[in-house]
Amino acid sequence: MASFSQYVVKETTTNLWRNRVTTAAAVFTVMISLFLVGASLVLGQGASNAEIKWQQGTLVTVWMEPGASAQEIAAVQTQLDAFPYVHGCYYRTQAQDYEEAQHLLTATELSVLKPEQIPSSIRCIPNESQDAKLVIAKFSGQPGVFGSPTAPIQYLKTIQRVITTAQYAVLVVALVLLLSSAVLILNTIRMAIFARKREVAVMKLVGATNWFIRVPFIFEGLVQGFIGSALAALFIWIGEAFWRVRTESQSPDGLLHQMLLSNWQLFWCETIVILLGMTIGSIGSAIAIRRFLDV
Amino acid sequence: MPIGALWRPEIMIKLDHVTKTYKNGTIALDDVSLEIEKGEFVFLVGSSGSGKTTFLRLLLREELPDRGTIWEAGRDIVNLPKWRVPYLRRNIGCVFQDFRLLQNKTVFENVAFALEVIGRPKSVIEAQVPQVLELVGLAHKRDNLPSELSGGEQQRVAIARAFVNRPLILLADEPTGNLDPKISEGIMSLLDRINKSGTTVVMATHDKALVDRMRLRVIELDHGTLVRDQHRGVYGIDGDGGVQR
Repeated sequence: MASFSQYVVKETTTNLWRNRVTTAAAVFTVMISLFLVGASLVLGQGASNAEIKWQQGTLVTVWMEPGASAQEIAAVQTQLDAFPYVHGCYYRTQAQDYEEAQHLLTATELSVLKPEQIPSSIRCIPNESQDAKLVIAKFSGQPGVFGSPTAPIQYLKTIQRVITTAQYAVLVVALVLLLSSAVLILNTIRMAIFARKREVAVMKLVGATNWFIRVPFIFEGLVQGFIGSALAALFIWIGEAFWRVRTESQSPDGLLHQMLLSNWQLFWCETIVILLGMTIGSIGSAIAIRRFLDV
Repeated sequence: MPIGALWRPEIMIKLDHVTKTYKNGTIALDDVSLEIEKGEFVFLVGSSGSGKTTFLRLLLREELPDRGTIWEAGRDIVNLPKWRVPYLRRNIGCVFQDFRLLQNKTVFENVAFALEVIGRPKSVIEAQVPQVLELVGLAHKRDNLPSELSGGEQQRVAIARAFVNRPLILLADEPTGNLDPKISEGIMSLLDRINKSGTTVVMATHDKALVDRMRLRVIELDHGTLVRDQHRGVYGIDGDGGVQR
């Protein structure tokens, strides 16, 4: 067993060195394609993180008539508290809403707006972001309610659609590249085997089993896949660190900040990338060697 | 068919009505039946395309016959499962006209390779390879590459590799085809020594002088048909006391 493992290590290192140009080509292809696969995984995980945070932070604003009485406001607030799709609510006075409007509106718009014209509001967090629609439907046109309650549903939908589309696009490109890298590895190994066709024939003549011949080649593919995917994982890690540094100064409510991955999530994405690389490498070479063994 | 009814312990190789036709319609062997005993030295002669190489390839299980059965050391090799073929080949040494040495390995490594691939431990390799290199007279060239050796020396390395595992059968496909007569004599005497150690040798050859000098069993093929099988035979049609089997 020890001599077999020594043999495998010796054969693998010799072959990798002998075919170093094609080895480098295979490693780089694996690296690029798995970097994209990893990027799509990170993006997917980030979108999922952000979605959870948005779900938790989606606000439905029930605007109250500027002249609504305290009883009307209290009645709406009571109904909202009893509404099963609402997690919790808080009341903002006209003064508080005016102050907020000062940050959102232009000077021209503010010049024609007086604090007493601004509606006060009750802001609620629904249980799920899609529950916002139910709140809107229930409280539109209630006594004291100004117009319809509002929620950034369309905005959320748009962002989600953009992220989902981007995720699919990156994933499709990554899968195509993954497939092409598998073919390239297969070709690289096939070239290596072709160069050693004579050696394989001699091995068969002297009674080597197919597995004995196959293992060094599979190991070779495994090493190529591992090096390529480890480099991809390194670049993903660098990219994520760069992203983290860039978003640290931003508000925690910012999209990029909300998408940040935990260390554990990043570890899993990197592990998947490395395992994929090793699997593609070893399976690719196992397929490549098959036809040369049929003697 | 039960082997016990057909097999005698002194038989090493047995072909029973073996026919092999290639896809292009060429009949390489046509209903060939013969027996080769343990420890025999057999010359396989015939013109190019007569079926000698196919005969050897069938014995090595590189080809399968269309009809008939082949036994080696009491085993039906035609119906041998594919995964058992490497184990069959460990009992058969092969020598070819073009030597088939690995050019990037030294003499020692080429011979050791035959033991390495069948999983022999390093201690066995270290012990057996020098012995067999001594036998073929190349102990002093163990660290040379094949490209640094003459044709005769390369063929000796090939024989050492074929014999290092002490096979039951040694198949030689025109081993002296690329060598001058003097070197051929040396190779022949080496094969003769191996044969005397108990290994059955089947040698395909065009070397008339060699066959005529040795006066061993001669099997002649012509267009796939067995046309002659003689003890103490000569290369051509025997007019000199050969014994028809």
